[in-house]
Amino acid sequence: MPGPVTVFSAKKIITMDASVGEATHVAVRDGIILEVGDVDDCAAWGPYILDDRFSDCVLIPGLIESHAHLLDGMLWAKSEYVGPVDRHDPSGKLREGLNNVPALIGRMKEIEARMADPTKPLIAWGVDPSLNDPITPITRHDLDQVSKTRPIFVLHTSCHIAYVNTATLALANYAAIKAPGVLRDASGTPTGELQEMASMMAAIRAVASDLIGGSTDAEQFYNFAKVAQARGATTIVDGGGSTYFEPAFLAAALAVTSVPDFPARIVAHHNGITVPSAQDMIKFAAMLKGEGNDKLVFQGVKILLDGSNQGFTGRLRPPGYLGTGVNGLWNRAPDELRQLVPALHDAGLQIVAHCNADQAAEMFIEAVTLAQARKPRFDHRHFIVHGQLLDESLLRRMVSLGIHATLFSNHLYYWGEFHRAHTFGAFRAAAMNPAATALRLGVVVAAHSDAPVSPVDPLLTLWCAANRVTSAGRVLGPGERVSAYDALKMMTFNAAYLLHRDHEIGSIRVGKRADFAVLAHDPLAVDPMTIKDIPVQATILGGRVFPIVG
Amino acid sequence: MIGGYLGAGKTTLLNRLLAEPHGMKLAVLVNDFGSVNVDAALIANRNGETISLTNGCVCCTIGDNLGLALHDLAERPDGPEHIIIEASGVADPGKIAHYAASHPRLVLDSIVVVADAETVRVRAADKYVGDLVRLQLATADVIVLSKTDLVGADACRPVQCWIESEVPDARLLATPGANLFAELLLGQRTALARRMGAGGDDHRQTFAAWTFSRERPLDGAALRATIASLPPAVLRAKGIVRLAEEPGRRFVLQLVGRRWSLERMDIDDSYDGLPSARSTIVCIGPAAQLDPARLEALFARVAPAIVPAAIAALLQREDRP
Ligand SMILES: [Zn+2]
Repeated sequence: MPGPVTVFSAKKIITMDASVGEATHVAVRDGIILEVGDVDDCAAWGPYILDDRFSDCVLIPGLIESHAHLLDGMLWAKSEYVGPVDRHDPSGKLREGLNNVPALIGRMKEIEARMADPTKPLIAWGVDPSLNDPITPITRHDLDQVSKTRPIFVLHTSCHIAYVNTATLALANYAAIKAPGVLRDASGTPTGELQEMASMMAAIRAVASDLIGGSTDAEQFYNFAKVAQARGATTIVDGGGSTYFEPAFLAAALAVTSVPDFPARIVAHHNGITVPSAQDMIKFAAMLKGEGNDKLVFQGVKILLDGSNQGFTGRLRPPGYLGTGVNGLWNRAPDELRQLVPALHDAGLQIVAHCNADQAAEMFIEAVTLAQARKPRFDHRHFIVHGQLLDESLLRRMVSLGIHATLFSNHLYYWGEFHRAHTFGAFRAAAMNPAATALRLGVVVAAHSDAPVSPVDPLLTLWCAANRVTSAGRVLGPGERVSAYDALKMMTFNAAYLLHRDHEIGSIRVGKRADFAVLAHDPLAVDPMTIKDIPVQATILGGRVFPIVG
Repeated sequence: MIGGYLGAGKTTLLNRLLAEPHGMKLAVLVNDFGSVNVDAALIANRNGETISLTNGCVCCTIGDNLGLALHDLAERPDGPEHIIIEASGVADPGKIAHYAASHPRLVLDSIVVVADAETVRVRAADKYVGDLVRLQLATADVIVLSKTDLVGADACRPVQCWIESEVPDARLLATPGANLFAELLLGQRTALARRMGAGGDDHRQTFAAWTFSRERPLDGAALRATIASLPPAVLRAKGIVRLAEEPGRRFVLQLVGRRWSLERMDIDDSYDGLPSARSTIVCIGPAAQLDPARLEALFARVAPAIVPAAIAALLQREDRP
């Protein structure tokens, strides 16, 4: 028997539907949209409960974070955020960036004072001294001010460096450890900085074993969804590193997402990152076929082609990285990709390809060309993740092959100045993440945060695509700015399309799921430079209201 | 550390190494078991990510965390004597070696890069991987040229010349058999190599050793200069020496291809392993290339002259011995 009808009223409903653009009321039953129009249109479905708590607000389709990683939820669940970049925590509260060591130590002292068990290690994450002012290293002396007795472990935002205090050094016996990754001062004592996973492993094993491998903890899923929900997302992608093919992990994921108050939908890519062979990827994808629930679905297999641009490991076409001309690293060999991509394509899978720089994208396009020649497929929706240096010629080839993209627009803000000065130089920095050209050529483009690399905040990502402003206030490539409408479409309908979910989510239309974000102001009417500051009042997921506490 | 582009022949060599009765406990870390092909009779048991062999060796997959895989191996009570890491075909072996060496219980022995004699030059010109293939070669302490038997000697020579021009001072070894490869990697005469003796089936495939020994402490500066200028035919050298600069201590010399170190031993001098004042260095390389006369000449200068240096120089200028 059908459930009751609820009608939500709003100052304005922006549908992002191609045919009907605006409304004031939306009727919902059993999680599905029944009608979109005015109150009388909605009344045609019979008796209803009017929910007018958002009648002063603007409703938009639930925002979609098209590329992030579950690790973000794990970090929020197991550690304290103390980084230099502003981030909203799972409760929606803004954690302001701490961009100098005294501020970091001050915050950690507060955290320490709240901890009841004196033996429990203090685990924190997100620091990046290169973004601090002044840039100074973090040492055990700094962390000893927080506690001399409680073990402390602070993870760099890159996850390649950790900082520990004297208590942790003693517990993991670092005095006896001679390794280049364990930095030492003039007296030969470890400074507390541990570089690379191999050198920090003893500390992780001793005090932070929660951070590694295969946790089935429900909290990581909950926090992953909660952080996104707090910023208006109703769907978030877990971008490919998780091990859903392991029964215990899958069972945990299914259990937590099937709880009615789980706050967002997760679209998980199949793991083509830690699973080495095409054969296993295809096998695991088949195994997971039909698995999932209302809030957890599996779609696409994620593969990595190169590294990261800010880490100088993206694969660039000539002339390579600024100044040095060096190039980055392949994650898989091109010869392997020429086999792998056609194999996945033949198996009927959607391929989600991490291509950070342009040569990686060119390689992927070449591999899809081979695959399409061997077995033409329509509507496969293979897409490139990041695609930061796509240009018109690559985009045109993508259009002809049916390849789409989610761009890393957040880079323009967080690393724009860095890329201009250190990796790409002026021209390529201005041409980064070319959303306007891609849209003009007919590529379906979305944008993403790649959390935890940058914070999950779809309104901020939208703002980045629309304004292309760096953290120093410089506009990079004004010609590639898109309108607020197009930017909103990137974060809703286009993202849904990439995920093969545009028939269900991504716009407010009769028959689709009742997933909305409730904003205090109209993102299409405000000054585009203020879009990121619009308060998110709530999200509505399948008709259920999820208030924002923070 | 074993690197080299996809298909260069790394796993072929590793498979042979695992099956070899070298009498050592090895751990081989591979990217996936797919290409590992060990005789079933040699497998003692298989447990998830680890295959244990009857000869005491283990083969493990790296999984998604090399740091963890290394840590777990290094911390095993029955830990291996050597860990051989197979770098993925697109890895910078130097970077991974540096990463692995940051583990407290591990010391980097060497970076061996395998290059396919048939395809390496084409790969090195490829727009996608050319820079990578050249980087891998440049990172190598020793380059092993594989499939030379398929290509034939005539086609091989230009490849060797090309590598030598591409990588100054390259240490090159053409298609070693399993025993030679084991010797190169493990730095000691393996049981099989000993059994086969110096006159094995294939003369080209054997290593020769040349030993230098002195009773008096050596001239440290001259020794360092000599080691830095050893001919490419010396693929490994090992030694325990006394230096005039600090005669109360022993120093350990380790050399693999282009990588070498000369370090003071930590252990107390009263430790009784060697005749107290003697210095001994062993150089190993392919029998066909190792030239004892040249080594003799090179090492002559590291033994301190009995006459003071100024007089020796004077004598030399007058062209007298
Ligand atoms: Zn990612």
